[in-house]
Amino acid sequence: MRTRPVVPVLAAALAVLFVASLFTGRVWLPPREILGGTGDAAGTELARLILVELRLPRALLGLLAGASLGLCGAVLQGLTRNPLAEPGLLGISSGAALGAVIAIYSGLALEVPLATPLLGLAGAFLTALLTLALGRGGGMLVLILAGSSVSGLMLAGTALALNLAPNPYAAYEISQWLLGSIADKSWDQLALAGPFMVIGCALLMGTGRALDALALGELQARSLGIDLPRLRLRIIAGTALAVGAATSITGAIGFIGLVAPHLVRHLVDYEPRRVLVPATLCGAAVLLAADIGTRLLPLDQELKLGVLTGLVGAPFFIALVLRLKRTAP
Amino acid sequence: MIRLAAEGLSFAIARRRIVWNVAFEAGGGEFIALIGPNGAGKSTLLTLLAGLAPPTVGRVTVDGTPLAALKAAELARRRAYLPQNPRCDWPIPVERLVALGLTPSLPSFGDFDAEDRRRIDAAIAACDLEAHRAQAATTLSGGELARAMLARALVGDPHLLIVDEPLAGLDPRHAIDTVRRLRALAVEEGRLVIAAMHDLNLALRHATRVWAVSSGNLVADGSPREVVDAPLLQSLFDVPARVHADADGEGARVEFG
Amino acid sequence: MMRPAVVAALAALLALPALAAGEGAPPRRIVSLNLCADQLVMSLVPPGRIASITWLSRSEGDPDLLPLARRLPVNHGSAEEVLAARPDLVIAGRYTTSTTRALLRRAGVRLLEIDPVQDWDGIRAVTREVAAVLGEAERGEALIADMDDRLASLALARPEAPIRVIGWAGGPTDVPGRDTLFNTLLETAGGVNVGVLDAGRGGFDVERVVLRRPQALLRGVSYGATPSLRNEAARHRLLRRLYPQGQLTYPEALFGCGVPQAAVAAQALQRSLRDIAGSAARR
Repeated sequence: MRTRPVVPVLAAALAVLFVASLFTGRVWLPPREILGGTGDAAGTELARLILVELRLPRALLGLLAGASLGLCGAVLQGLTRNPLAEPGLLGISSGAALGAVIAIYSGLALEVPLATPLLGLAGAFLTALLTLALGRGGGMLVLILAGSSVSGLMLAGTALALNLAPNPYAAYEISQWLLGSIADKSWDQLALAGPFMVIGCALLMGTGRALDALALGELQARSLGIDLPRLRLRIIAGTALAVGAATSITGAIGFIGLVAPHLVRHLVDYEPRRVLVPATLCGAAVLLAADIGTRLLPLDQELKLGVLTGLVGAPFFIALVLRLKRTAP
Repeated sequence: MIRLAAEGLSFAIARRRIVWNVAFEAGGGEFIALIGPNGAGKSTLLTLLAGLAPPTVGRVTVDGTPLAALKAAELARRRAYLPQNPRCDWPIPVERLVALGLTPSLPSFGDFDAEDRRRIDAAIAACDLEAHRAQAATTLSGGELARAMLARALVGDPHLLIVDEPLAGLDPRHAIDTVRRLRALAVEEGRLVIAAMHDLNLALRHATRVWAVSSGNLVADGSPREVVDAPLLQSLFDVPARVHADADGEGARVEFG
Repeated sequence: MMRPAVVAALAALLALPALAAGEGAPPRRIVSLNLCADQLVMSLVPPGRIASITWLSRSEGDPDLLPLARRLPVNHGSAEEVLAARPDLVIAGRYTTSTTRALLRRAGVRLLEIDPVQDWDGIRAVTREVAAVLGEAERGEALIADMDDRLASLALARPEAPIRVIGWAGGPTDVPGRDTLFNTLLETAGGVNVGVLDAGRGGFDVERVVLRRPQALLRGVSYGATPSLRNEAARHRLLRRLYPQGQLTYPEALFGCGVPQAAVAAQALQRSLRDIAGSAARR
């Protein structure tokens, strides 16, 4: 059994990107200034504040959100044995987005500081429950269809919120928010969403053995002692927590959950269990890299993170489909 | 040695009887061939015996304990099941596929220990897969995949092995090897092996016991010599049949038409 | 689109009030389709001559005009509402719904379009133009005179060094540019917008704001301060920490509309700026 050092290499790449993210921004903050060598005390203080209050929470948020998306994508692809599955499959990201939009435009976000992530999570869980209830007793296809239909419901709800928004900027703002971004976030939001993302990822990490067994199909997996209904419940709960919390802060960031598992799968002999950790690290790395990209690109308008991941992810997706066509029987 | 028994075992969907009122007692050391026409309910009966479908009426007991009372993981350690035409959905290496058979006893995290590796190696050798060890499972031929699946079923050292059409897609040499192996597992190692088979000649030659199933009922149960005769075959398959005893007295040849 | 016959019938209906009033007489049924025009119209003519104003005026604009605005009929800019009010004059901004404008031209209703303004001269010009059309030239001059008085006091009370502020509402493109009314008002009040330099290059974010080291942050408030996302980044922890007192708000409508009341808003801003300068001097 070949063992490539996949995890250490990915972890190292992630560490490099994390540090790079701390040094990337609209304005170049030279390390000397941060460490106090320039003699400009106020400048140093400011540089440190920017680093600690802006860039550090941003990098951590990017890391956690990317990890959540990558892991969730890997788990869902393992569950459905379909390489085109991704975190939005169960409709959870649409539900989280709707919850966050309601929080912002009902004014709750102004009264209760952490209303947005909380309502986003509520939306994610509500969607998860709906999908689970709708898909209960049916097979994988029914579950996927249930997720798709519930997602449509949530999107309709978001469109309604847009329509009834109290001020004319709303439509523009919701669509901008939905494009996805981790800019200008703070420790407050990370402190709320972070624990949920960690718990969700922990739930998802433990599904490895079951996903391996599922490679043989549901009947054989059950004969190996896998409790399928419980597995589905666990996966939905983990996804709702991790992806729901992430989406409620960042908006909809697409393609990372689809792409990250694919980038690493061939390195681990396609084993579903062994994909999990690398996909988590890869998702975090890809998101951080994209976020660095949005800050380095010399454009007049700010490029949203979700737009960049879409621009890169969609061609990748197309290439994937073409490859599947070639290798499929 | 394991004991398997069924009483009044029945399974129906929407009032259509698929398995009806099956009763038997069986134990380790037996290699039971399950024969019957298409649609007779063989596959369903096997899933019932494997504990993968709940009976509508009646029950199955393992060593006296009803299947329903056993935890899935506990049952999985003692019983291995292979469906018809088993597939692998990811291109994982053959040795990983075989290793999946150890799932019930593996921890959530962490890899195999030396004992596990030994068992995997033994299963691979037993099913003649050494040459394909690192090959992706989805690139195997039908027969090679069948052997890999059998190795997967055997690696966990099951006391009860339930296989649906184990010889499908195998060439004569591998078919004979497999059925000999199944017999050895039962007769020499004391396991209980139940296999649904279409190849009557091999069944007659190697099985210790035959179950004939027709329209969900167990119409015959006994040693091949006692049970399998032309009248039975004709009523099962609705085709004229002749049974010729072999010269060496071990088995018989069946001729249809 | 409505059938030509229907339009002709409506046009005939609409022409009646104009005929009744007689050519050249001041308009008696004024419809305004623009927030800034609302403010001017309400300041210049008695309520009896106003047929409808926009719904926005019920929560925006000069606070003194709010009670009046809440009593008047409102429209949402749709052609139906305009025609139903049977106006003899419609005032709109240059960027009104083009369908509505086309319809009005076809129906023969007089349409006055006003341009956005960038400075006090612009305000004087627009006020005079609208006052003339409304037949209230004298009232117009009175408003301008009041405005000029206030501008004189503003000039006297200006701080020696302009107060450095950044006008930012929280979004990446929410920084008012160089040649805007906002800038004029700010400078008249004694401030300088140090965000102007970067606006338009890659968007604004908290890092940029902080690194420019303004003395105060200015945030526009609009639409009755109904919630929106724009406030989120502006309430970032870091900004709250660095500017505990220095987050000022201004009424967006008055800073964007070329109406004489803008001088009142400028005076309010000047008072806030002087407070900032004062507290800075004391520290």
